[in-house]
Amino acid sequence: MRRSLGHLVSAAFAMSAALYAQTSAPAPSRDLTGVWMIRNPAAIAAYAGATFTKDEPQLTPWAEAKYKEAKSSNGGKYTLDTTNDPVITKCDPPGVPRVYFHPYPFEFVSTPKYTLMLYEYDHMVRRIYTDGRPLPADPDPTWMGSSVGHWEDGATFVVDTVGFNDKTWLDRLGHPHSTQLHVTERFRRTDRDHMLLDFTMQDPVALVKPWMATFYLELRPKWELGEISCSGDYLDFKKFEK
Amino acid sequence: MQSYRTVLRAKLLALWAGTAAVLMVSAPLLAHHGTAAFDTGQTVTVKGTVTDFQYVNPHAQVYFKVKNDKGEEEAWQGELTAPNKLSRAGWTKHTLTPGDSITVGGNPAKNGEHTLWIRKLIGPDGQALQLFED
Repeated sequence: MRRSLGHLVSAAFAMSAALYAQTSAPAPSRDLTGVWMIRNPAAIAAYAGATFTKDEPQLTPWAEAKYKEAKSSNGGKYTLDTTNDPVITKCDPPGVPRVYFHPYPFEFVSTPKYTLMLYEYDHMVRRIYTDGRPLPADPDPTWMGSSVGHWEDGATFVVDTVGFNDKTWLDRLGHPHSTQLHVTERFRRTDRDHMLLDFTMQDPVALVKPWMATFYLELRPKWELGEISCSGDYLDFKKFEK
Repeated sequence: MQSYRTVLRAKLLALWAGTAAVLMVSAPLLAHHGTAAFDTGQTVTVKGTVTDFQYVNPHAQVYFKVKNDKGEEEAWQGELTAPNKLSRAGWTKHTLTPGDSITVGGNPAKNGEHTLWIRKLIGPDGQALQLFED
């Protein structure tokens, strides 16, 4: 089973690099340090602000029922009256991989025992343990999950995350997940300035088969992360009335 | 000779009138969050004078006054992207200041208010300002 999934993943992601022009210096070995921004190519940009793939994922009946209740915040094309996206309406933490649907950068900070992922949106932080520990067997549910990471080769960093609550969406369309969600992110740095991010979402309660997609990232050496506070900046819409 | 009380009353009246004028000039409400409130199929371009510039999340706001065809003053409001993104495009909170002459092009609000989602902004020095990070 594990082997067949591996082949499936390889085949699905093999095409992705072809969309990418490699123009910069070679990538440093085993180092993702820096500020990165999603810059998806035109071929996928039409839907990638809202979801992962053009085609719908295969949902279980449980997930179908939940999905019907969701009112999308599709790529920013919404108003507060038309969405029930919990990130937008309640400032709930976005979870993973919903966090990648904010149009803001994130930063990798490497330490010997863990890698930090700092997201500009709402100060989200993920701690990716790289000290060889296994994923927790029975994790307490959290918004951003429990993560471990390892280098598959000099340029590919693989992050596995489990231990989510079931309050977040997978995307801005409202595709749901359960506490059984397991997200794998493969960060494939193709050169100094470019990186592919392969997602594999597995969830026996919500997804009939793994949902896979690839997003495209670019290094932004001159950028610094700023502050965006959801509860401070977004919730009180009255303050914009003058 | 005016009594102290009369002067005070006149001052209070002036203050009230000034406040009322500000409130009237600033009539448009920013009830929008997300782009669905704007008609992206249309573009409106207007020339005006900045009355206020709010460098705030989630989106920076430009308030400006415009003289219409009848010579009447209208209060307009324009919405930009997030300040962090504008900063990375070279902006600061001082990029626009009250009194600046600007030309603003953008998508109008569907509800007919004088509100734009700004797509182009020519600043006081006649140059188009960069509205998005690279």
